[in-house]
Amino acid sequence: MTRGPVEAVLESPEEGGALLDGPSRPLLSLDDMSVRFALGGRRAGETVHAVTEARLELLPGQVLALVGESGCGKSVLASALLGLLPANAWLRGSARVGGADAEEDVELLSASEQVLAGRIRGRRIGLVPQSAATHLTPVRTARAQLAEAVRELRGHEDDGDVDELAGRVGLDPAALGHYPHELSGGMAQRVVVASALVGEPPVVIADEPTTGLDRPLVDRTMDLLGELANRSRGVLLITHDLSAARRVATHVAVMYASRVVETGPADEVFDRPWHPYTVGLLNALPERGFEPIPGHPPALTELDALEREWGCAFCRRRPDTPGVAACDGTPELVSYGTRSVAAHPPC
Amino acid sequence: MLRASGLVAGYERGKRVLDGVNVDLPRGGVRGLAGPSGCGKSTLARVLALLQRPWAGTVELDGSPIRGFRHAASRRQRTAVGVVFQQPRPAVDPRMPLRRVLEEPLRASGERGVPERVAELTELTGLDGELLGRFPHEVSDGQLQRACLARAIALRPRYLICDEMTGMLDASTTAALVRVVDEQVRVEGTGVLAISHDESLLHAWAGDDVIRL
Amino acid sequence: MVELDSGRARPPGGGEWRSAARTRAGTARGGTGRARLRARASVVVLVSLVLAAVLVPMLSPAPGLVDYTSVRMPPEPGHPFGTDTSGRDLFVRSWAGLRISLLVAAVSTLVSTVLGSAVGAVAGSFGGWVDRLLMRVVDAINSVPHLLLGIVIVALYRGTVLAVVLSIGLTHWATVARVVRSEVLGLRNRPYIDAAISAGAGRWWVLRKHVLPAIVPQAVLSAVLLVPHAVFHETALSFLGLGLPPHLASIGNILGDGRAAVLLGAWWIVVFPALLLVATTLAVSGLAAGWRDRAVPTRRSELSL
Repeated sequence: MTRGPVEAVLESPEEGGALLDGPSRPLLSLDDMSVRFALGGRRAGETVHAVTEARLELLPGQVLALVGESGCGKSVLASALLGLLPANAWLRGSARVGGADAEEDVELLSASEQVLAGRIRGRRIGLVPQSAATHLTPVRTARAQLAEAVRELRGHEDDGDVDELAGRVGLDPAALGHYPHELSGGMAQRVVVASALVGEPPVVIADEPTTGLDRPLVDRTMDLLGELANRSRGVLLITHDLSAARRVATHVAVMYASRVVETGPADEVFDRPWHPYTVGLLNALPERGFEPIPGHPPALTELDALEREWGCAFCRRRPDTPGVAACDGTPELVSYGTRSVAAHPPC
Repeated sequence: MLRASGLVAGYERGKRVLDGVNVDLPRGGVRGLAGPSGCGKSTLARVLALLQRPWAGTVELDGSPIRGFRHAASRRQRTAVGVVFQQPRPAVDPRMPLRRVLEEPLRASGERGVPERVAELTELTGLDGELLGRFPHEVSDGQLQRACLARAIALRPRYLICDEMTGMLDASTTAALVRVVDEQVRVEGTGVLAISHDESLLHAWAGDDVIRL
Repeated sequence: MVELDSGRARPPGGGEWRSAARTRAGTARGGTGRARLRARASVVVLVSLVLAAVLVPMLSPAPGLVDYTSVRMPPEPGHPFGTDTSGRDLFVRSWAGLRISLLVAAVSTLVSTVLGSAVGAVAGSFGGWVDRLLMRVVDAINSVPHLLLGIVIVALYRGTVLAVVLSIGLTHWATVARVVRSEVLGLRNRPYIDAAISAGAGRWWVLRKHVLPAIVPQAVLSAVLLVPHAVFHETALSFLGLGLPPHLASIGNILGDGRAAVLLGAWWIVVFPALLLVATTLAVSGLAAGWRDRAVPTRRSELSL
């Protein structure tokens, strides 16, 4: 997404924090962020392109869904933002988490572990992990775990705080006395969401939060995440589940083979996709034709050569998609109003 | 026909999750099985795949009753029912490259022409052939689940239990794997039990032939 | 070290890449590098110790050389480790002792690990009456103090190296069997074992292809932990006069001899041989920790998608 003129003005430090109404500063902005993994052992010399030149922005009130096939790099992106990448990862570009003004901005990719642990995780960025069941400690009650997070992030201990958190995620405070295995899947999920909210982070990242849940539970979790987005908070939802994304997302970013290939307001992208990959994903939904995209995603170690030859990494897999503009071979995102797309201009 | 009648089963030393369940699975078609999580779908899948002994009730395979489960069932009986689980990662040995995952059923049964059949399965399931030398942690969930499906159909089972096979996969991989299974039904006359909580998936896959637990 | 390590190679194109490792320096995530370093240091130390244990006695006068003109000499240039109560040079004698003790410990550990792993794996994967029978045998062995049982075995064939090896090996497999069995029980309900059974794999197939490769790291680890323990048992047996023949310079014999001398102020008789033993133990366990990391492929690579 390109910034409109108003947002561009707000970037300057003297005016940014003063304006309380109108479009606010982005909570999270990724600028040409790339992640590479240098492989070792048998595959020494190979480089995995996990994220390539990602440019994204998350504004307050938005639920930005990052969707794509498994292994396209979307979870790596989340790990990179939280500083949870393994030691063989290399990073380029920037990812800023926005504060009240530019002084408060923190660049995440170069931040030290001390900054990430002390100021970012839980405080500026809350994480809703993949599996509630494995995230909670089995030997302590939900209340004890929330109270610990409150003590750690708010510096004081108060049962009222815990009850208030529980209320916010629709959890009966009485249920907090239970151990994780005594909670239903839905309640455990709520406890995890509540613990992500303890530090009142302006950004909540949910990484595949509905894996293994059944449809009603997926819907409830999604609604809960949707409610988190408000005037001062945005949600980055990483998921492979298009129906779930569709339910709550205000904006969508589609990722294919390490690149964001299309972004825009959710209803527009879902109703009139521009990129052939987005078209393919939507046509694969059971209620929309159940037609798989032929072939498989390219190996992430060979993207360089593929892009040099084809420009658009998707077009070798499926060159022509009806209703989609022909490829112009440039993998970079190009903006058209509120939407942007790579390689396939709107037709 | 794979038939289970009056099944009562539960977790090992745990609570009962199936109480008098009857399921018929005919050959040459896809039958859906829907139900919310925790209703015993996975336990039913394990019993039908002869991997767990029910507390009560009978399982009949092509007219003959099953007396033993797991290793107590004969190899012929076990390999007559293939199974694919929801999570591909715990379902493969982390020490085995994908090629050995695919070879396992063939070698364990002393089949001939293993490399040829592996190539065929790779083609059939749309697995990227270059990944055969990789270890499970080096490939994505989607590719790993393709390998698990390839393993399950390697010996051309007469029945195939897909226990939330696509629960962790994206839309495109889901549609692709469903096609692979449908192809087995068409070519081999496999009887498929498609277990899922996703009604729209089951409707698109099994039409109106969906039973509820 | 980063540039030398192929696993940390900088991606091609542009110098502006930042390593995720550098920004996280000093955290648990930097641990893989330290573990690797520790494993490498262990290999170096262990190889030098073994080489010295083999070469020093070979290149020096016989360790049994008694010289009553120089008993209990403190460390000095001619005798870096001092001399013992019979005036024997402790430097040569300690290395020779390490060689014999390690040999006895290694062989007896091998015996108990192989036996214990086999029993544990069979008990765990077959279950039922097989498991109950084997575990009762394990209980029976564990209920008698190892040393006592060892003495009984060694008393039958006194004074031979084989007797000592068997007496240690046959008493320690029960512990290994227990560890391995619990590993196997943990594996038995893994979905990939289910998948193998469904794919027609028999009991032996599952045991050979899935269970054994998974328990080898654990078995090796418990074997390594047994090595120093076995040395101590050898020491105890020798001390009681039931172990290795007194003319063999095992660490146990040296320590046994030096026991009384310590009271006379000759600390070196005990300290130097004991130091060799401790160094060996640390090196072997460092190596085992590194090996365990390598044995699991997911830990081998730092990338998982």
